[in-house]
Amino acid sequence: MFILSIPTMALILLYLFLMKNGPLTVKLSSQRKPFLDIVGLEVGAALSEGVPAVRLRKRENEIELLSAGFLKLQDALPETEDAAQQSHPIWLLPSQFQALHAALAVSSKQSFLRHASGSGDETPDKRQTAFRTVSRTAAPDLPPLVAGLPEFQAAWAARILPEGRKPTACSLQLSSAAALNGLTTAPAFLSAGGTVAALFVFPEYTALAAFQESRLVLYREHPVGYVHLRSAVSTQMGIDIALADSVLDDTLIDPTPIIEPVLRPLFRQVEISADFLSRRRNCKTTNFLLCGLPSGATYWSTVFSHMLNLPLIVCPTLDGVKRAVRATQKNAPPPLSKAQEQLLMVAYGAARAVLEDV
Amino acid sequence: MSKPLHIDLLKDEERLSASPIRLRIMMPIFSLLTALGIAVWWSVLVARAHTLALQKAEIEHRLADLKPAHNALLALRAEEQDLSATLKQLTFYKNARVVFGETFTKLAEHVPDKVQFTEMRIPPPPPLPPQDPKKPLLGPTNPVERVTLRLAGRTNGPEPVNALFNTLRTPDFTNLIRSAEIPKGAFRQDSARNPSNRETLLFELTCECAPRRFE
Repeated sequence: MFILSIPTMALILLYLFLMKNGPLTVKLSSQRKPFLDIVGLEVGAALSEGVPAVRLRKRENEIELLSAGFLKLQDALPETEDAAQQSHPIWLLPSQFQALHAALAVSSKQSFLRHASGSGDETPDKRQTAFRTVSRTAAPDLPPLVAGLPEFQAAWAARILPEGRKPTACSLQLSSAAALNGLTTAPAFLSAGGTVAALFVFPEYTALAAFQESRLVLYREHPVGYVHLRSAVSTQMGIDIALADSVLDDTLIDPTPIIEPVLRPLFRQVEISADFLSRRRNCKTTNFLLCGLPSGATYWSTVFSHMLNLPLIVCPTLDGVKRAVRATQKNAPPPLSKAQEQLLMVAYGAARAVLEDV
Repeated sequence: MSKPLHIDLLKDEERLSASPIRLRIMMPIFSLLTALGIAVWWSVLVARAHTLALQKAEIEHRLADLKPAHNALLALRAEEQDLSATLKQLTFYKNARVVFGETFTKLAEHVPDKVQFTEMRIPPPPPLPPQDPKKPLLGPTNPVERVTLRLAGRTNGPEPVNALFNTLRTPDFTNLIRSAEIPKGAFRQDSARNPSNRETLLFELTCECAPRRFE
């Protein structure tokens, strides 16, 4: 009987060891294989359309779009630890978005993405909340980029997709970092030579990313987003937000006098950044791209041209992406407008980052 | 951007499997089932051991009950073996019996007139070896016993003795007497009764009889 009890004890000890050090699935997953089928999801975007979702597949070393759309899921990101503990939404995706893995991109007001200061202190704020931070060197001669997300928000987002169902999270990114990866296939980006500065427009801020020889050399955020423009139009014209979007898309009414005061400080910062690049890295920025803007791109370009005397080229999110056959079938989600496609910038970039990170 | 800017904030322990068969769940279930199986096995073994112990106790009790009868049986068997051995020995003795009566009856008819027997003797067998008090011998250990017949008498000359000697070699006697001889010095004068009578001689014949076979 003693001999027989040895395997039982071994099994119990193994189980306790695994429970202490994490599930065995984690141990196995540490030997990662390249991901071939990914759905990118933007968490916390709080869009009226729903949760942006883009499913990409890598086949024969080529990335193709399987599905793209907006999912009606509860995605309100908790603002406090208490709220995170009380809220446990479980996301179950429709079949056309059930890839094996998911890349989550979190849009949080408390997150940050910036170049490291060089003093060694990577946490910019002395906050009470614990932050989960990761740094990544974009180029050897540049300070690394540091991304930070409150720990409770990261943990909340990580468990939003349940175990044992497709998909499960394989990557957790910041929306600002994820958006940068969506630019790589854009024809405008590929055709532009030299130094390219891209403006990634988010609801609350706009990120300027400069690429030299396709390498990220500068990243800055400015607190002007498309929501500010909507609000300005809505307030000054006395219309609601939905109508403000229509005004920004339409050419019947010129909202330039309203949006120019909002955009001017932003474009002034872009100009300063371009000067900075010219002086510090000896590269003149001649190509400016505009990404992720759902409405009013024409007026943005107009104001930009007036100020910098350079064109601001709109870069549609899914331009240059090969569509899989399945995406054109009957069960495919309804076709998206250009404005909706722009809102998929983060989800698309998150999925793309995982697929190309070999 | 030659290489994607993948800044991953996900911890290793947060990477979960999409497979419905999860080792984290299956391991404790498997461990539990194994432990349960072993426990059931042990229970069966314990139950069987208990049953065997009960059977052993019952058999021991029955053996204890049967012990006196068994001892009596063993004693009876030993007695029966002794008696059988005795009977066997008696049968051997019966089979080994040498019948001298008929031969002696015929001998009376052939004894010459001038012969008078003074002794007809069958010497006893040689004595048995000293007996072991713990293992008494019931009979001779040698299955064949030599038998001799010694005839002694008076006569007046050697002729009657020779006639008697020749008579013993006739078929009437050879069934019993295999050989006969007149030992040296067998003839001598009978001076004990009447020293002056020199005509009376004492003689002696030794006959080798058929052996006693204890079979």
